[in-house]
Amino acid sequence: MAVVAVAAGRLLRLRAAAAEGRWHRWRGDAVARSFLQPASARKDAAQLRQVAHFTFQPDPESHEYGQTQKMNLFQSITSALDNSLAKDPTAVIFGEDVAFGGVFRCTVGLRDKYGKDRVFNTPLCEQGIVGFGIGLAVTGATAIAEIQFADYIFPAFDQIVNEAAKYRYRSGDLFNCGSLTIRAPWGCVGHGALYHSQSPEAFFAHCPGIKVVIPRSPFQAKGLLLSCIEDKNPCIFFEPKILYRAAVEQVPVEPYNIPLSQAEVIQEGSDVTLVAWGTQVHVIREVASMAQEKLGVSCEVIDLKTIIPWDVDTVCKSVIKTGRLLISHEAPLTGGFASEISSTVQRWFFLLLLLKQHLQGWGCGSSGSALAWHACGPGSILSTTYQQRCCVRRELKSKY
Amino acid sequence: MRKMLAAVSRVLAGAAQKPASRVLVASRNFANDATFEIKKCDLHRLEEGPPVTTVLTREDGLKYYRMMQTVRRMELKADQLYKQKIIRGFCHLCDGQEACCVGLEAGINPTDHLITAYRAHGFTFTRGLSVREILAELTGRRGGCAKGKGGSMHMYAKNFYGGNGIVGAQVPLGAGIALACKYNGKDEVCLTLYGDGAANQGQIFEAYNMAALWKLPCIFICENNRYGMGTSVERAAASTDYYKRGDFIPGLRVDGMDILCVREATRFAAAYCRSGKGPILMELQTYRYHGHSMSDPGVSYRTREEIQEVRSKSDPIMLLKDRMVNSNLASVEELKEIDVEVRKEIEDAAQFATADPEPPLEELGYHIYSSDPPFEVRGANQWIKFKSVS
Repeated sequence: MAVVAVAAGRLLRLRAAAAEGRWHRWRGDAVARSFLQPASARKDAAQLRQVAHFTFQPDPESHEYGQTQKMNLFQSITSALDNSLAKDPTAVIFGEDVAFGGVFRCTVGLRDKYGKDRVFNTPLCEQGIVGFGIGLAVTGATAIAEIQFADYIFPAFDQIVNEAAKYRYRSGDLFNCGSLTIRAPWGCVGHGALYHSQSPEAFFAHCPGIKVVIPRSPFQAKGLLLSCIEDKNPCIFFEPKILYRAAVEQVPVEPYNIPLSQAEVIQEGSDVTLVAWGTQVHVIREVASMAQEKLGVSCEVIDLKTIIPWDVDTVCKSVIKTGRLLISHEAPLTGGFASEISSTVQRWFFLLLLLKQHLQGWGCGSSGSALAWHACGPGSILSTTYQQRCCVRRELKSKY
Repeated sequence: MRKMLAAVSRVLAGAAQKPASRVLVASRNFANDATFEIKKCDLHRLEEGPPVTTVLTREDGLKYYRMMQTVRRMELKADQLYKQKIIRGFCHLCDGQEACCVGLEAGINPTDHLITAYRAHGFTFTRGLSVREILAELTGRRGGCAKGKGGSMHMYAKNFYGGNGIVGAQVPLGAGIALACKYNGKDEVCLTLYGDGAANQGQIFEAYNMAALWKLPCIFICENNRYGMGTSVERAAASTDYYKRGDFIPGLRVDGMDILCVREATRFAAAYCRSGKGPILMELQTYRYHGHSMSDPGVSYRTREEIQEVRSKSDPIMLLKDRMVNSNLASVEELKEIDVEVRKEIEDAAQFATADPEPPLEELGYHIYSSDPPFEVRGANQWIKFKSVS
């Protein structure tokens, strides 16, 4: 560890020297300041309400898994569920309003295809839905439960944390509810306000025994959902609701799996590591391209995908390379999952890390307001990167 | 010349007669009150129910008519503003259910308490807020009752606890308010409302048990409008006799489209609670014309014919109007005049709601905690700070 520390220290100084030059160069630049100012300083903030704070960036088409079809997020979910029900005769889908197709159309056509015994509605009772799902899974059936909005998952919190997560452990592996998957629409949508916008992944991150997965795109969603369903642990699959229609990609028609607990480096870079999940991945990608264009900063973008158990190695390897880490999520700051990531990274790389920064949603809770949205957008993150670099420069000067 | 004068005088005489007939109408005697028969309520664990006849005074009748018409027009105006994208987010309208909110208010005192779920605009009005404040809250402006930060689902007033988004979560709250009523000893009751969809939530049964165990003055009211979002009651509930679901709590099933029926049942239930006998359950059978919310057209799970039938046979405003006119409590013209006044009031309120400024950005962080002195809340990055004053 000491050797690492020494090497890290040397690396730190080298890095600083190279970077100094770059900073000097643009310090005197007439860089347009407007986009670097915090959003609240801008007078036109209110008018930007009509504009989404990101652009979905589809991945290039993959021919690895056979023929593909153009699908949006909810269609890719339907496809995954269709594949599951076809493959596994014990698979059932249940939740509020799933029979007619679901409020976000994720289960359209499945009841007609597989029958009302396998795709059925439940009454309005989240605690009952999850408890019932656990029971079903314990007998060995594949239970796919839907909670209509992630904001409503809290009545079921006890069932998830106390029953589902601990079943295998407390029975000494005699019983388990690994074939349970809970799906819920997640995240900001613009008009959702307090109860249709929440990102509760951090609450569940504190619970060993379950897995929490959040896809960024239709291709990822189908592969990850199929992996969750087949995984032998209870999984919660959060679907970014704003991407249901907005995200369109070529998605394989046949089933395929994307492994859980493996983060993906979407874009390689050398100056700073940007980590996000779900919708924010697209914001971060835009930030990366803006940073490259306007500041000459090379960003490495990582999609975390699985919140717990999370891929510590990929993130840490990236931080060794860049020396800087920035994490962005919609959920509130305190106790948000970024805190876990940053404290883990800091624990391992205390001397290496120049400055880590995390950006999160409003400390006041919901990031559903349109104004909050905009502030989470690329311009605001970029301003942070700019100011972060000023801080780093000042710190380096004082330390070395 | 003489012929012309004669013709002119004939015309003038004819013209003079019209004002005279209007004077006749104004001085026509209306009845002071009238007795009506109302539908008998189905009872659960009760020996007697509310009376089957009731007296309606002219004054009360006009008041109820005006209130119901105001709620109706306010909801329709909200519909219009939503379609113009002046109101955004979620908007759950209660037109068709006016007899519930006005009838309940008629059966209790202003010092009693009420809590409901998200279909709350009517209750916000009957509990004392003005249409201006309600519409301004819907449009998210400063003049709104929650300062523009609450919106459709989060409106509050004195002795009115909202306005709650999570289905069923307001029922244990209502039981708690009822405990406070009992504790304070001021003879107050708490009306705790929920819908037919929420009736299947576990926490409702927990609240029933607590209220019955401790004999809380809580009137549980299930507003059964036959559909929980898009799910009809038959497909959601093993027992659609919602008034019996309290099991050990006595219940009554009330025709929620008849304001007099609702009023009598509420009076009966309030008297029951005030006498210290414990909680009671009321099921109001009612109907909503709009879909679940403005994003729901409302016709994919029920037929237009069904909606039309309810509108033509059981519309609460129409029922009251017919009763009043037929018993000489009011004239059609008088009620039309009220309609015109109400329309004007709603127009003015809508004007205000559209023109009022939005709350200032500085207030975004207010009222998170109660704390003195104010503290800072971080925005989306650490250089954006909001002061949290409370």
